[in-house]
Amino acid sequence: MTLLVSLCVAVIFGSAAFLLLKRDLIRVISGMILLGNAANLFIMAAGLRQGSAPFVGSESETSDPLVQAMTLTAIVISFGVATLVLSLVYRVYDAHHSVDLRRLGSAEAVQASLDDQPSAEEVKADEAALRESEKQDVATTLEVRS
Amino acid sequence: MIITLPLAILWFGALFIALLDGTRKPVGYAAVGLLTSALVATVYLGVDIYRNGPREMVIAGWEAGVGIALRADLLGITFAVVSLVVLTTALWFEVSRDVKARIFPALVMFMGLGLTGLFFTGDAFNFYVFFEISMVAAYVLASYGESPRQLRAALIFIVVNLLGSVLFLVGIAAMYHNTGWLDMERISIRTPVLEENPAILTATIIFVAFSIKLGLFPFHFWLPAVYTGTRPAVAAILSGALANIGSYGLLRFGADIFPRELHEGAWVMLILGSVSIVYGGVQAIARHSPNEVLAYSTIGQVGYILIALSIGGEAGYATAILYAVINALNKTLLFLSASLRGWIAGAAFAVGAFSVAGVPPAGGFFGKMAVFQIGINDGRPWIVALIFIGGALSFVYMFQLYRARFWVNQEADEATTKGALGLVVAIALVIVAIGVYPEPLLSISRQAAAILPERAP
Repeated sequence: MTLLVSLCVAVIFGSAAFLLLKRDLIRVISGMILLGNAANLFIMAAGLRQGSAPFVGSESETSDPLVQAMTLTAIVISFGVATLVLSLVYRVYDAHHSVDLRRLGSAEAVQASLDDQPSAEEVKADEAALRESEKQDVATTLEVRS
Repeated sequence: MIITLPLAILWFGALFIALLDGTRKPVGYAAVGLLTSALVATVYLGVDIYRNGPREMVIAGWEAGVGIALRADLLGITFAVVSLVVLTTALWFEVSRDVKARIFPALVMFMGLGLTGLFFTGDAFNFYVFFEISMVAAYVLASYGESPRQLRAALIFIVVNLLGSVLFLVGIAAMYHNTGWLDMERISIRTPVLEENPAILTATIIFVAFSIKLGLFPFHFWLPAVYTGTRPAVAAILSGALANIGSYGLLRFGADIFPRELHEGAWVMLILGSVSIVYGGVQAIARHSPNEVLAYSTIGQVGYILIALSIGGEAGYATAILYAVINALNKTLLFLSASLRGWIAGAAFAVGAFSVAGVPPAGGFFGKMAVFQIGINDGRPWIVALIFIGGALSFVYMFQLYRARFWVNQEADEATTKGALGLVVAIALVIVAIGVYPEPLLSISRQAAAILPERAP
């Protein structure tokens, strides 16, 4: 049983890692959701004993209820995060009309090259400062002459 | 009862604020007020703990060991106070300028709830739950501003940090399976008698999970992309408050729960820390945009915390705590003041720059000096040399940034409000005050470190 569960965890974890490395954002997100599920299965497998359902008053050996409570909490959290990520992917799609990571990467490169150039405001401020200093130069020269 | 007070204020406050339109000034200031009251309650609790020792409460009246415990000791409360100070300042800063999204104040409060909760909890799985509350708030905050660039940054942030969260969850499950407990105090009793292999594997998984949060050298790749894209208040929150999870986690899970494994892995941490310092410093010099320089500087500063941790012992842990606290304040000050203009902001920025470089009037000096001291006491002169190189590098990039930001362009722009300037000056004064009179912080960090067990021989 332990071998079977660990094999399952390994296969799910491996598929998740494979999907995470894809270029398509939807696959990356599916990979993340799968990864969460691999972790959930791992928690279940980490239970201390196996047995029947843990109800109050059951006669036989019961299974560990704590890991089930933990898994339930982890499922709820990963579900919430998955909805958040999917909505974010939609926003990214809205902004770029693409969910291809190559496309997003080239957009990032364009942005980075824009960053290195001075912004319009800075250019304007520099020009203003230059004009100001020229004016002052002229003023001082006039003062000296008079 | 008193432990739950800050959590209750934050929890109900955040729910209440979430219903209202956060872009309005009164709502924003109400959120600031609630955060401040939570901070006051935490400080009050902290003073009590400083005098009378740690406090513990088991939720819903269960017996100790059965129910989930809240346990506030000096280590947790120090990090909680620093995080709340950073969050309050960043929120106030953003409110005094202009809040762009209605959910922003509520998100900052939810993050405060998650952080305070995880610093107070005594249960490993509860730690994960609070951790996720603050992470989900951080995911949304990373996309705050909603330009295409911020959305891309948020996506990177979520994918990488979810990976970290899943690893942490696996680590907790492994810890539970090996020790049979979720209560941290009981786990720490059982870990020394664990077999070598499972213990070291679990410790490594948890170390990687927290390193991703901290942005340590081989796990740093997400950090610059996220920090460059975000607004200054969010960058301050991420580096000043959220990164505390990493430092606290390494201290709590490393020094408290896996002291033997921490000792065995000390040389790995020493190497990673040293590489972080040099790599962060060199990369920061090569960058131009303020957020990017500060992002790489964050990677470098984390290295000092790691080196202090790897040297270990009470002095080492105390240094790690001291450095983490000062670093959180430094980064908040720098991210916020770099976005302002004018000589007041410039002066505040200079204080932060001095503090990062470790020049005497600022608080950072004592952080650097403490690392110096443990390096010498441990008989490793090369650590001292490394700190010197790191300090020199940070001096160079900080003043490059100062020159580009405050010398070239002196004009004030409309985003530089009086409130924002006041906050930046207040944080700068706190850092100078720590530098002038460091005794309280030194004694707090020493006492907090005394809770952690001495490293295994």
